[in-house]
Amino acid sequence: MSERPTAQELTEAILEFLGGEILPTLTDHRLRFRMLVAMNALSIVYRELEALPVEDDTEQRELAAQIRAGDVPPGALRRVKADVEARLRIASPRYLEGYREAAAE
Amino acid sequence: MIAEMREALQNRLPEVLGREVEVSEPVLLAGGASKEAWSVDAGGERLLVRRAAGSTIHRHTLSLADEFATIEAAFEAGVKVPRPYGYLPDLEGREAFVMERLDGDTIGRRIVRKDELAAARAVLPVQMADELAKIHAIPPARVPFLAEAQLERMIDELDEVGEPHPAIELGLWWLRENRPPARTPVVTHGDYRIGNLVVREDGLGGVLDWEFAHLDDPVRDMAFALVRAWRFGVPEKRLGGVGPVEPYLERYNELTGFDVQPFELDYWELAGNVGWAIGCLTQMQRHLTGQDRSVELATLGRLGAEVEYEIVNLLERFAA
Repeated sequence: MSERPTAQELTEAILEFLGGEILPTLTDHRLRFRMLVAMNALSIVYRELEALPVEDDTEQRELAAQIRAGDVPPGALRRVKADVEARLRIASPRYLEGYREAAAE
Repeated sequence: MIAEMREALQNRLPEVLGREVEVSEPVLLAGGASKEAWSVDAGGERLLVRRAAGSTIHRHTLSLADEFATIEAAFEAGVKVPRPYGYLPDLEGREAFVMERLDGDTIGRRIVRKDELAAARAVLPVQMADELAKIHAIPPARVPFLAEAQLERMIDELDEVGEPHPAIELGLWWLRENRPPARTPVVTHGDYRIGNLVVREDGLGGVLDWEFAHLDDPVRDMAFALVRAWRFGVPEKRLGGVGPVEPYLERYNELTGFDVQPFELDYWELAGNVGWAIGCLTQMQRHLTGQDRSVELATLGRLGAEVEYEIVNLLERFAA
C-alpha cells in the first residue's frame, strides 16, 4: 500500500511548522528549550523513517490502471474497500468507527 | 500593513460608495494563500474587502474581477448575496473587491449543531432550493466569461497527482458507465454547500464564495451539498448535516420545472465525492511541491481516505 504524504513527509511538515511558526513565538526560556528538545526527538524519527525501504505500490498501480481501462476485475470493490479501511485505521480511525455506527443504525 | 491598508481604503472607498466616508481601522479576518478578507466599516456601511494574495488555490477558479461580476449578476437576479459595492483593480498593489459584510454563521460544525440554529436548520432545505433555483436561472449571457465544466477534468487532475487510488478509479469508472441523460448547462455556483452559506437564526442569510462558478449540469450543483464531508459530522442528515434531501428536491423541482430525479442526485453525489477525493490530493500536492507548505494541506492527503471510503460505500449501495 502506498500512501502520501509518507510518514516521513508528515514528520517533515510538523518540524517546519514547529520551527517556523511556534518556536519564534516562545518567549519562556524553559519552554523554548523543551521545544528544541522535542524537535530534535522528531528529527530522530524523521531520519529513522528515511532509512526505511520505500513501499512497493506496483499492485495498486496495476489495479488502478486496469480499472481506468474499463476492465474491473471481479471482487475489485471488496478488495479496494479493505485497502481503504486499512488506510483509515491509520489516518482516521474514529471516522471509520463513526461510519460503521451510523450505518448500523 | 494595517496602516497602509487603512490609508488605501480611505483613498478608494469614497469612489466605491459614491460619497465621502470615514474609514475604520481594517481587520484582517483571513490570510489565506489565495485571498485576503478584510473587515472594515465606512460611513455606517459594514464592508468586507476581498483582496488577492500570493497564489491561487485552484487553477480553475475565477479571477477576482470575474467573481465580483458573478456576485453582481446574482445580486441582480435576486439571489441572497452580499451587496456588491465595487471592484478595485489596484488596492495597495493587488486587485480587490468590496461587498457588504453579512452577519451570521458560516462555520459548518456550528451550523449543524448549534441549538440556536435549530429553527434555521428546519427551513434551510427549502431556502437552499430557493436560492439555487434563482442562481440556475441567471442568463448565461449575463456572465459570458464562465466556462463550461467537463467531468473529464477530474481525471486530468488525478493524473497530475500521479498516485494510484483504485477507489477513486472505481468511482470514475462508475460515473462513466452510468451517466444520466445530459441536461442543458446552467450558471452554477460550483461550491454550493454548508460552509459557504451564511446562516442566521431565521435561516439562510446569504450565499458566499463564488470563485468556482461555471456552467454545468444543474443537478451537479444541487448534489454537492449532499457530499458526506460537508455534513460536518451529522451524516444521517443527507443535506449538509442540516436536514433531509426530499424537501430540497421537491422545492427545486417546483421552482424550476426541471423534474430532477433521485437517481440523478445519487449520481452527482458520487461525482461530488470523487471530485473532493481528488481535491484532497491536489491540496496535498500544493504542500509536497512546496507551493504552499502546510501541515493542514499535508494531512488532507491522508484524510482523503475518508472520502474514498464514502465512494466505495456508495458504490456498494448502488450495486445492491
